[in-house]
This record gives sequence, C-alpha cells and structure tokens, in this order.
Amino acid sequence: MSNHLDDQLRNALRPVDPGEEFTQHVVQRLAHDKRRSRWSTPAGLQWLSAALAAAVVLGFLTAHAWQVRREQQGLEARKQLLEALRVTGEKLDLAYRVVNDEAHGTAGENSGA
Amino acid sequence: MRMTAGNLTFAFIVLGARLALATAAAPDVQLQMPNFDSLASNASDSVSITLDSGLLGIAAAFLDSSKPEDAAAKDLISGLKSIYVRNYTFDKDFTYPSADVDLLRKQLSAPVWQRLVGVRSGKKQANVDIYMSVNQNNVNGLVIIASEPREFTVVNIVGSIDLQKLRRLEGKFGIPKLQLEEKK
Repeated sequence: MSNHLDDQLRNALRPVDPGEEFTQHVVQRLAHDKRRSRWSTPAGLQWLSAALAAAVVLGFLTAHAWQVRREQQGLEARKQLLEALRVTGEKLDLAYRVVNDEAHGTAGENSGA
Repeated sequence: MRMTAGNLTFAFIVLGARLALATAAAPDVQLQMPNFDSLASNASDSVSITLDSGLLGIAAAFLDSSKPEDAAAKDLISGLKSIYVRNYTFDKDFTYPSADVDLLRKQLSAPVWQRLVGVRSGKKQANVDIYMSVNQNNVNGLVIIASEPREFTVVNIVGSIDLQKLRRLEGKFGIPKLQLEEKK
C-alpha cells in the first residue's frame, strides 16, 4: 500500500521537459514586464518630475516676459499721455496769451486815444 | 414664442433704425489726420501721438494717483476715447503747405463743430483755432490747430471732456486759467 503511494507520488513529481514553446512564452513575458515597469521605476519618475519642473519654469518665464512687456507698454503709454497733455496745455496757453496780448493792445490804444 | 420670418425682418428693421439713430445722435468727432509727410520731412523735431481707448486704459493703470500731475491726468482721461497729437518743430521759419491744413479745416464744419477760439496774432505770427463738438450739452470732441512760424500742432481729443476738469489742470502741464463759461 505504502509502496504504491510512493510510486504514484514519484510518478507525479518526476521532472518533465516543458518544451521550447513554454520557454519562449516565459522569455517574452519577462521582456514585456521589463518594458512596462520602466515608467514606474524611480528613473521614470525622475524624467516625469524633470518635465513637470521644466513646464513650470517655462510658464513662469512666459508670464514674466508678458509682465515686463505690459509694463513697458504701460510706461510708454503713460509717457505719451503726459506728452499729449503737455502739448495741449502749451497750445491752450498760446491761445490764452495771444488773446490777452490782443486785449491789452486794444485797451492801450483806447486809453491813449 | 416662435420667431417667424416676418418677426425677424421687423426686428432687423428696428435694430437698423436704432443704429442709424445712435449714429446720428453721436457724430464722429475723430478727425481724419493727413499724413503730414511734407511737414515731417522738413521738421527738425516731430511728435506723433495716437492713444486709443485701449492705450488710454493701459496708461491710466500706470498713473500714480499720489502725484498731482498723474492724478489730474487720470481724472481728465476717465471719459476720453482717444487722443491724437501731431506736432512739428522747424529750425527756421517754414511755410506750411496749405493743402494738409485745409483738409483738416474742411472736417471742422457746423453743426458738429463750433469754433470756440480763433486768434491771429500779427506780433507773434501765431494762429490758434480751438473747435469743440457739443452733443446733448456735453463736450465730446476738441480740436486745436496752432500754427507758428517754426511750429505746427494739431490736437484732437475724442470723448466726454469735462471743462471743469480741464480748468482744474491749471498750473499743470502749462495749462492757463481759461475763461470758459460754466453751464449749470
């Protein structure tokens, strides 16, 4: 009885050649798993972090450049506005002086007559 | 409510009429500025300023309200739509080609424009004309044409101009005390 059981076990656990096809499947599966785990490795994460940091820096630089350009445009517009008001004031002043001169000239002529 | 073709046509007619009335009610007081090429080529110094509503808004954002000059400018431009300035200075006495100036004067006709000041000084050889456009008791346009032997200037201000604010600029930007009538 005991010998019979031993024989059965020995027969079930005997070394069997899995065959060429099985070996190829295992090798292919290993290669596939290696590729898939590339992004989940610390090196992959580093690439992702670097790309994210680069995007943030690029965004910051773009915003800064836009801000500088807007400030330059604003200061130039302010300068032009003050210049426009200065010229306007100057010409209103000219009109005022000419009217004044004419009025004083007429008054002088009238008082002298 | 269902919109029929008839309703739609009627709506377009009403909209068109309203637009036409709005256009008639607010005449265009922006001058067509000549290019003044002949003046620019003979000028020793020239200033060409064009500030539309967008640039006026940007300029206003950069005015410092704590400075009296900036605060006055900010207050004055609050109702303005645009400012155009052309200023040419010459090294020697220069006879302006009248064609460009005539082109400007032709645009400044009644009833849109009224000449507020027209001065001709024989002594200073300076001619200054100030025109205003008034719409519903509001000044909505100002033009100054000043010609001197060595300087020619055109200023066109478009928008609601508050004469009280203009008076408040006295002492700033060289603006004198003006004898302007106050409408109450």
